[in-house]
Amino acid sequence: MVSTLIVLCSLALFAVAVFTLWWMLHAWRTPETLAATRFADPDGTGALSFSLLVPARHEQEVLEHTVLRLLESSHTDYEVIVIVGHDDPDTAAVAHRLAAAHPGLVSVVTDTHEKKNKPKALNSALPHCRGDVVGVFDAEDQVHPDLLAHVDHAFRDTEADVVQGGVQLINFHSSWYSLRNCLEYFFWFRSRLHLHAAKGFIPLGGNTVFVRTPLLRANDGWDADCLAEDCDLGVRLSSQGAKVVVAYDSEMVTKEETPGSVVSLFKQRTRWNQGFLQVYRKQDWKRLPTFRQRLLARYTLVTPFIQAFSGLLILVGIAIAIFSQVSIVVALVSFSPLIPMTATFAFEVVGLHDFGKQYQLHVTFVHYAKLIIGGPFYQLILAGAALRAVWREMRGRKDWELTKHVGAHLVSEVEATS
Amino acid sequence: MDAMTVVIEQRTEQDPNEFEEAVAPAPARLTRFLAGHIDAVIVVALVIAIVAVQAVNIGNFPTVSDDEGTYLAQAWAIQHGHGLAHYSYWYDHPPLGWIQIAMLSWIPALFDHGSQVVMHARVIMLPVTAAGSALVYLLARRLDLPRWAAALATVVFGLSPLSVTMQREIYLDNFAVVWMLAAFVLALSPRRHLWHHIAAGLCAAVSVLSKETMVVVAPALLMAVWRGSDRATRKFSMVGFAAAFSLIGVQYVLYAVLKGELLPGANHNSLIGAVQYQLGRGGSGFILQRGSVSNMTMHWWLVRDPILIYAGAIASVVALAVRRLRPIAVASVILLVVAARPNGYLPAMYVIQVIPFLALAVAGVVHAGVRAVLTVGAHRRLVPRPDNRFFRILSRVRFGRRDLVAFAAVIAVGLVAPFWETGDETADTSTTNDNYVAASAWVKANIADPAHTRIVVDDALWPDMVDDGFQPGLGAIWFYKVDLDPAVTKTLPHGWRDLDYVVSTSIIRQDPNGLPIVRAAMTHSKVVATFGAGDQQIQILRVDRTGGGQ
Repeated sequence: MVSTLIVLCSLALFAVAVFTLWWMLHAWRTPETLAATRFADPDGTGALSFSLLVPARHEQEVLEHTVLRLLESSHTDYEVIVIVGHDDPDTAAVAHRLAAAHPGLVSVVTDTHEKKNKPKALNSALPHCRGDVVGVFDAEDQVHPDLLAHVDHAFRDTEADVVQGGVQLINFHSSWYSLRNCLEYFFWFRSRLHLHAAKGFIPLGGNTVFVRTPLLRANDGWDADCLAEDCDLGVRLSSQGAKVVVAYDSEMVTKEETPGSVVSLFKQRTRWNQGFLQVYRKQDWKRLPTFRQRLLARYTLVTPFIQAFSGLLILVGIAIAIFSQVSIVVALVSFSPLIPMTATFAFEVVGLHDFGKQYQLHVTFVHYAKLIIGGPFYQLILAGAALRAVWREMRGRKDWELTKHVGAHLVSEVEATS
Repeated sequence: MDAMTVVIEQRTEQDPNEFEEAVAPAPARLTRFLAGHIDAVIVVALVIAIVAVQAVNIGNFPTVSDDEGTYLAQAWAIQHGHGLAHYSYWYDHPPLGWIQIAMLSWIPALFDHGSQVVMHARVIMLPVTAAGSALVYLLARRLDLPRWAAALATVVFGLSPLSVTMQREIYLDNFAVVWMLAAFVLALSPRRHLWHHIAAGLCAAVSVLSKETMVVVAPALLMAVWRGSDRATRKFSMVGFAAAFSLIGVQYVLYAVLKGELLPGANHNSLIGAVQYQLGRGGSGFILQRGSVSNMTMHWWLVRDPILIYAGAIASVVALAVRRLRPIAVASVILLVVAARPNGYLPAMYVIQVIPFLALAVAGVVHAGVRAVLTVGAHRRLVPRPDNRFFRILSRVRFGRRDLVAFAAVIAVGLVAPFWETGDETADTSTTNDNYVAASAWVKANIADPAHTRIVVDDALWPDMVDDGFQPGLGAIWFYKVDLDPAVTKTLPHGWRDLDYVVSTSIIRQDPNGLPIVRAAMTHSKVVATFGAGDQQIQILRVDRTGGGQ
């Protein structure tokens, strides 16, 4: 009885780990797959117009840099709409100053909702968008000047409805958890998202995401009650059969920073997990046409919860197997999930090496050591956040916990280039 | 340069079919299907031929060996839930080899089940050889060899008299080789797919866990993965391969740890202890020193097929210089060097691991030679001709490069074919196991109460005794265990007096360990039946408990 339970659980965990690994490595399956994850070179004739939304909340320190950087874009037809809260005079002041300095290019929309969150801010700006395509950036994002030209080309070249560009946390040196956090993003945007795009089910990212304006309006913009409005939008558009294209170019990614502390990482992860739960419960994914897509959706949306506890479950399984004197075969099976788990660690090391090469960052032995040793602890944070997400969702607490940004990636860039 | 030429050759080979499909009036569906699957057709034909030659007379030649019986007995133990061996498992080899034997053991049951189990169980080697042959062909193609060269490699692999002898026997090496070939085939997959490289690591691990000595080929396989992967994704391929290989391999160590048998200690077997034993195992001498056991082993190989050994060894060294052949050349050379290390232990079945690489090297080098003859310096005359009457006559005979190749091929076939034909005919007609069959039949007919009789046999007969109803382990006793396994010895309080029969075969007589209880039992016994004469004679001895004897 105990044996059967151990075998079944272990095999399930083994399968989960293998699938996760498989998808994590999607982009590197063949050289052709890897080549296809990049942006095609633009043809130089921009044809679409863009409305770039930049919601900013208590981010007066980083907003100006971000907007000025957007204005360096090589694309010729775009507008920047900064969205500020009516209760946030400091950020509003920066935004209005920028609008005054760049009339016609930068405008400000004030979000007057009593309780504020990102989807509400975005929805406030949607009626003011004049472009063919709406793009979203966060106030601390560093955007490459050539990104719009590439996105423009991708839209026309592939007849896409949605283009998701790469987002990359870059300050891997800041702390042990930011190292892992950076790598998580690397595997997600570099590899996994491409698989989702190919399979026709994709939870979109929170920024560097571009949607054709009519499609967005037809869907009433973002879901103001969802804590993962980006994921939700992706799921809703996917289930309508919208064509989503993902492109990742290390030169073209939007650079971001990791949360400034373990606590804010924990809160951010809680919000995402709770958001995933909400998207799952909204059941828009059930309208996906094929069974396999629905299965992928179901699996992807509950993955944070499975993964959070798989590490713990494996240890429990092994402990039971050893102490309850089951047969040697069962004991061996209880260890089997460690095989893909260890392989995942090995591939993370390769990923970190590749990350360092792509971004010309100096990765030392200490970083590799941190990556491995930090693994289980990071897993603990994820497990805690998953638990808290379930707890909050059950208690009906759905308020928005904002991640505070301090601009660590801006410093890192100075360090890296100096 | 090499690759380019081959690509062109392959294209010209494929073109006629495409042409035929496009222009010719629609041929019958079968013809079209066959034309589209030429490689498959060749493989099927070759495999049928090889399996046919290997299957005929498989039970009667070569002589059953104790090792075959051991592996079969261990497979029997797995099938019947007795753990990993018929006596306590002592980490002599990783167990995956006989786990595979156990998985295939339903096959002999399909055929007539005669009195000698080992002979009849040899049928399970046929699918193994079939898989091996197909993989050799595929690997040759993935080394950019044209079809004829791939077919040559397959023929050498499957029809050399040495192969026909060794591949019939239930040896772990035969399983290990198939998995290692699969690993090479996957490593050189033209799609350069990460999961193929990971699968190559898995296959390599299974190979090593089937027969641990296969691990020496790992550097060559690593080379193949390097070559088979693209620059852009190579890092991931190499790590995927290494991770799969090591993580599966380490399961064996984990097994030992979980059983508390990793480190040597009193009263239990251990993995480390077994490794120490194997490494310290008395060497069989230097292979090239006359009179050493290794030299005799090599001599025995040479008797079966000197062509494969000599030509293969030379071709392996030459193939090191041909870039696309290098991975298998390195594998071959490593195996040869390991065999030639001074005073290492060299068992007869070692050659099984080398055969596919020798075969591929031979075919690869022949292909390289043919191409050189056909292309190098094509604008110049092959041989400068002196101006005399004889050569003037000769020069009127048009003697092109193709003719030279054809001529050489005819000569080579003419030299090799009769020798192989004789060797394979011996394999297909000799009956070397009659004594075993007769002894086994005698025991079955003449020992009335097997369940309460204790008989000492070698492992080649052990499965038969179990089949007859002797108690596995303590009734039918593998002769080594009488003296060396405390669990068996303690059931013999009166020493040899507690035994009833000993079946004396050459294996038991040759044993140098001087097993005292077995010796004593043989001394205090009467011969009740004798089969054959000379070295291979088998005698059934009944122990005379009163103390009399021969």
